[in-house]
Amino acid sequence: MKQPNLRKLMVSMVTAATLTAGTSAYAEDPIRIGGIYILSGSASTYGEFAQKGIDLAVSEINESGGILGRDIEMIYEDSQGKASVAIQAARKLVHSEDVDALVGLDSSGVAQGMVPTMPELQKPLIITHAATPDVTGELCNPFTYRISVNVAQNMKAAAKIASETDAKNWTTIGPDYSFGHQSWEYFGDYLKEINPDVNLMSDTNFPRFGAEDFTPFIDRVMDSDADGVLISVWGGDLVNFVRQASNRGFFEKDLELMFTVGAATEVLTALGDRMPEGVHLSTRYWYDAYDNDINKRFVKAYIEEYGNPPSYNAEGAYAAIYAYKQAMEAAGTTDGPAVAKALRGMTMEAPNGTVTFREGDNQAMVSPNWGISGPMHPEHGIRTLTDLQIFDGEEVARSVEETGCKL
Amino acid sequence: MKAKVVLACLLLVIAALVAVPWIASYFYVFIFTEILIMGLFAVSFNLIFGYTGMLSFGHAAFFGVGSYATALVLIHLQWPFLACLLVSMGVSAVLALVIGYLSVRLNEVYFAMLTLAFGMMIFAIAYQWRSITGGSDGLAGFTLGSFGLGIDLTLSNPAVYYHVVLAIVGIASLVLYVICRSSFGLVLKAIRQNPERVAFAGLNVRTYRLVAFIIAGTFAGLAGGLIAPFLRVASPELIHWSTSAEPVLMSILGGTGYFLGPFIGSAVFVLLETWITSFTGSWMLVLGIILALMVVFFRKGLLGTFLDWWMEVKK
Repeated sequence: MKQPNLRKLMVSMVTAATLTAGTSAYAEDPIRIGGIYILSGSASTYGEFAQKGIDLAVSEINESGGILGRDIEMIYEDSQGKASVAIQAARKLVHSEDVDALVGLDSSGVAQGMVPTMPELQKPLIITHAATPDVTGELCNPFTYRISVNVAQNMKAAAKIASETDAKNWTTIGPDYSFGHQSWEYFGDYLKEINPDVNLMSDTNFPRFGAEDFTPFIDRVMDSDADGVLISVWGGDLVNFVRQASNRGFFEKDLELMFTVGAATEVLTALGDRMPEGVHLSTRYWYDAYDNDINKRFVKAYIEEYGNPPSYNAEGAYAAIYAYKQAMEAAGTTDGPAVAKALRGMTMEAPNGTVTFREGDNQAMVSPNWGISGPMHPEHGIRTLTDLQIFDGEEVARSVEETGCKL
Repeated sequence: MKAKVVLACLLLVIAALVAVPWIASYFYVFIFTEILIMGLFAVSFNLIFGYTGMLSFGHAAFFGVGSYATALVLIHLQWPFLACLLVSMGVSAVLALVIGYLSVRLNEVYFAMLTLAFGMMIFAIAYQWRSITGGSDGLAGFTLGSFGLGIDLTLSNPAVYYHVVLAIVGIASLVLYVICRSSFGLVLKAIRQNPERVAFAGLNVRTYRLVAFIIAGTFAGLAGGLIAPFLRVASPELIHWSTSAEPVLMSILGGTGYFLGPFIGSAVFVLLETWITSFTGSWMLVLGIILALMVVFFRKGLLGTFLDWWMEVKK
């Protein structure tokens, strides 16, 4: 009875040893990067746009010699917008697929759950979309970076714009999770700071993320005294929301409307001219806002490849791959802690200009873009942005002390 | 002889489980942690389902509440891990007493519907009480402190956590096994087969059912207390009725008539889910087909079917 067991154990041990030896990287092995995005459900276009941005960066880099002489290979996992799924996906990517680095995350809730586990995985993560201030705040750690605008930055910009309007009674419609709630909290705090006279209504509206029917919330706002509405609904939800709102005459009412992520090209493409004119739309990156060579090249290549202009999610994901290229080349290795260290305080050129990861909290100092929806673009089939404002990313950021991040 | 073979097999399985971090790819440490925790959840459920014959659709309430209890204690009090688990069990036990007291008086579909309703009530509370439970995001961002009892363990190391889970699930299963084999367990089986006869024998069926319900809830709470530090989130999904369906499926897959059946079911469920989702997004479709085949052709579950086949071969 005992003999065969011993043999079995020996065999497995030898197998394990061979497997471990097999994973040590040869120079010609590709560098593997894991991408975790929402690839199913109502927000899946965001994952697809991120993939498009990444694939563009990967093919550009691979064509020009790769990173440290090695090609990049991407492996994607679907987060389903759930923290527990994303955490398992990250563990799978790191321990089973041997990825060297991670990019991704579309949802604040997912980011809040996953970021605290990053030090255990010992691999760097660049967040390209999820905006909760906490992950470059209380929950920050040396392995987590964010290349996209966060809620605090965007809401400080939003509050400035809101304070210049005539609206006095503000309410919100936002998804019922951290993103919706935090958008409203930061917006309210900043707006009160600038203009203590405004009234932040206690009657707020938080439909479930992925809810298909927004009409009860739309009706409630129309029936209230609100004259300003912060709308942080996003993704497929926002498409549904705008269609239902325009059917109910929401846009004919005299309201100041601020869509915190309304100028996402995913949404603008889906809506076409059903997105009303004359409302405030924000995005973390507007493809027409930056007059530099990298942006021109990126937008041109993107439109040629995919037929529509890049969204902020595509841009963030695209830039993140280049951030890894720069960091890995600076570190001279793909070793997780070394690459994470190289990202610290790193400055790079991206489509949205010069981007620096702030040393105190690993948040990139990138600029929120706000504008007013204008006439349709003759070629791209989406609304243009007029009165475009590019806020200084550092000016609208919280100070490192305010973030609560201790690195 | 038969007992010896069973014992030898069991020891072999335990030895293999202990060795997982050294012999399998690191990723399987996570998979087996999940299998063990979900297995305990399913075994606790099978105490009322397979043994007592009560089909609950709200068992995730105890599992989820257990996970929230551990998460809350870790966030606000930073108690040692073992203390967190005791809190989870305590809270779940009290909840099981309340829900059980109101539910066990009913039978079959009424019992199933009532437990479903209570489960969804708990879900709604967790989903909406944002200031305490984190709303739809749940609770995240807690760190694991000490183990307790002065034992020095790095719980954030997945291999260490796996061994801790293995030990705790092992002890809990042993306790549940002893309960099932005791005279109390025999009464539960009798209740499943014929509650009227048990009542005529002078036993209070309702009390027995309630006690079984509380024990099952307590151990589901323990499983929940183990899952929160593993997932690093306690989220409302853990309470949702779809989570309540998992131990039902696992028990049927593995075999409800055997103590270890739900563990087999959990292993098959988690492994299949991991493998199939690597190839296709339609994991639920595949699961549905497997379940339909199981229920139509292999009523005794994988373990039962295997044991029958084994007996046949030995003849």
